[in-house]
Amino acid sequence: MSDSTQRTRVVFSPEGIGRLALGWLVLSVMLLSAANAATDVERELPDDPLDSVMWESMANRFFPGGDIVFDQRVIVDAPLSAEDQFFLPVTVDATALETNGLHVEEIVAVADLNPIPHILTLRPLEADAFIGFRVKLQQTTPIHVGVKTSDGIWHVNGVEVDAAGGGCTAPAMAHGISNWMETLGQTRAIVRRESALSTRLSLRMRHPMDTGLADGIPVFYMNEMQVKLADGTALADIELYEPVSENPTLTLKPRVSSNQSALDVRARDTEGNEYVFELPVPDLVVGN
Amino acid sequence: MDNRRRIFLRNSLGVMAAGCACAMCGGANARTLQYEFQATEIASRTWAVHGRNEYFSLENGGNIVNVAFVEVPEGVVVVDTGPSRRFGEQLLRLIGEKIPGKPILRVYNTHHHPDHFLGNQAFDQSLVAAPQKVIDNISSEGNAMADNMYRLLGDWMRGTEVTVPGKALDAQSEEVGGRQFSLFYLSGHTSADFVIRDDETGVLFSGDLAFLFRAPTTPHADITAWRSAIETLRVTDRDLILPGHGPSDGRGESLEQTLDYLDWLDGSLRESVSKGWSMNEAMKTPIPPRFRALDVVDTEFERSVVHLYQQLEDELMPSIQISQ
Ligand SMILES: [Zn+2]
Repeated sequence: MSDSTQRTRVVFSPEGIGRLALGWLVLSVMLLSAANAATDVERELPDDPLDSVMWESMANRFFPGGDIVFDQRVIVDAPLSAEDQFFLPVTVDATALETNGLHVEEIVAVADLNPIPHILTLRPLEADAFIGFRVKLQQTTPIHVGVKTSDGIWHVNGVEVDAAGGGCTAPAMAHGISNWMETLGQTRAIVRRESALSTRLSLRMRHPMDTGLADGIPVFYMNEMQVKLADGTALADIELYEPVSENPTLTLKPRVSSNQSALDVRARDTEGNEYVFELPVPDLVVGN
Repeated sequence: MDNRRRIFLRNSLGVMAAGCACAMCGGANARTLQYEFQATEIASRTWAVHGRNEYFSLENGGNIVNVAFVEVPEGVVVVDTGPSRRFGEQLLRLIGEKIPGKPILRVYNTHHHPDHFLGNQAFDQSLVAAPQKVIDNISSEGNAMADNMYRLLGDWMRGTEVTVPGKALDAQSEEVGGRQFSLFYLSGHTSADFVIRDDETGVLFSGDLAFLFRAPTTPHADITAWRSAIETLRVTDRDLILPGHGPSDGRGESLEQTLDYLDWLDGSLRESVSKGWSMNEAMKTPIPPRFRALDVVDTEFERSVVHLYQQLEDELMPSIQISQ
């Protein structure tokens, strides 16, 4: 389970670890130091409140570098039981971290026990630290969300979601429809102004999001999305991965001042198809 | 308090609360895997076996559904068979106690949800009847549903296999053992919902087109079709409705309550989609106080968001021109 290619060295807090285990750790830490001495950053990996068997691996692979703290201010909203293992809705709200001049640099969501754990990464450059998405689950799994603030600290929280099996290895619904290629990239969107500075963008795009794990269906998914202002100012960058549900549906909160009237969205998939569109931002309706 | 203790307490409180909520509802003993049926004679020689108004659990063994049996002049007619082989076998035993010595002549399946047909195995397949579309749904989705029930109910499901009805119905009525039954072919709760009326007693077996004091479920729902099915049932002559879940209903309250809930559910989800809310945000919509009387309404509302949201997104979110 432990990840031999990890860039960071792990030092456990000593509580509850027997002398023998500690001795083994010291030894392995020394070996790792020898291998990675130049790039190493020491950090303590806190115990996972969800007790995931994959926690150490998830932390090292997806939340590298800075210190890690479990933080209730990262709100990870998901049903405790997946009604549909192909579409588990998750909404992450880490806006409470943006105090005292700190801002959120990255939001990384992973499903520990999925064959491909990484769900997505959001860089909310000029957007609230907020994202809604849907994910396919292969089995009951912890979902961890790491939010990196501008001081380099990872604020992590998560939920354990009960799920029936097979969300990642079953073919997308689109493959049951003969003309699915024709609807590829079809887009629906709602943009609403929620305040003088902030908007809500809900976006839904037709795409099978094939994981490559279903028999005979090669990997094919939307892997990049950028939201910008018409003047080119980047508001949000998103990396999407295989576990994002078919027909990716995202909710974002880009910051758009009242003198701006449109968003530019550019998305790409793993075949290099580009999907580019402009979305008008309505004026703020007072009293709405 | 350690975790195990807390779970134990939570479970025992759950059982107690459910036991208090419904005086006539049966239960289940998870240790012996015995369903504790309570058969209520809701009309002359017509028994309803009321399940608990809960979701599937290891404690209730899936005894969350209403099934029924009717003594007709020459035998017995059964409506729905419960969630497992064990349920079907114990139901058959109960029928033998209430109506000794009479043969089962007909078993109806109202629709393809697992709590309604997985007990079929206990009965002679050639006597199990449903509209062709219900049979098709059981054939195509039955196994996946049974798998999910094994996951939720564990040992209660031991030995259960999908038994597809042996007889397809399309007549407006049929006579069974000297009794006339009217047959209604509707949809909305699922793509095929079958309603049966005993023309002698006037009992209408509505299946899951009607719920009473238990929140409606929507995994295969078409709300528009469901509303029109309720309109049909509203004007259908009857003396009593046995809803798929909840107490028997002499005043048509189950139809009104189900319609009211569906109207609210549809309206509330449309509003959430139009505001660009995520599913999780939509799940936080406050439930109006009048639906507090519906058991498990919080859970069912959350499930309904997942069932219905994407279709509404495709309907309500404006289409955007893209350049590739
Ligand atoms: Zn049903």
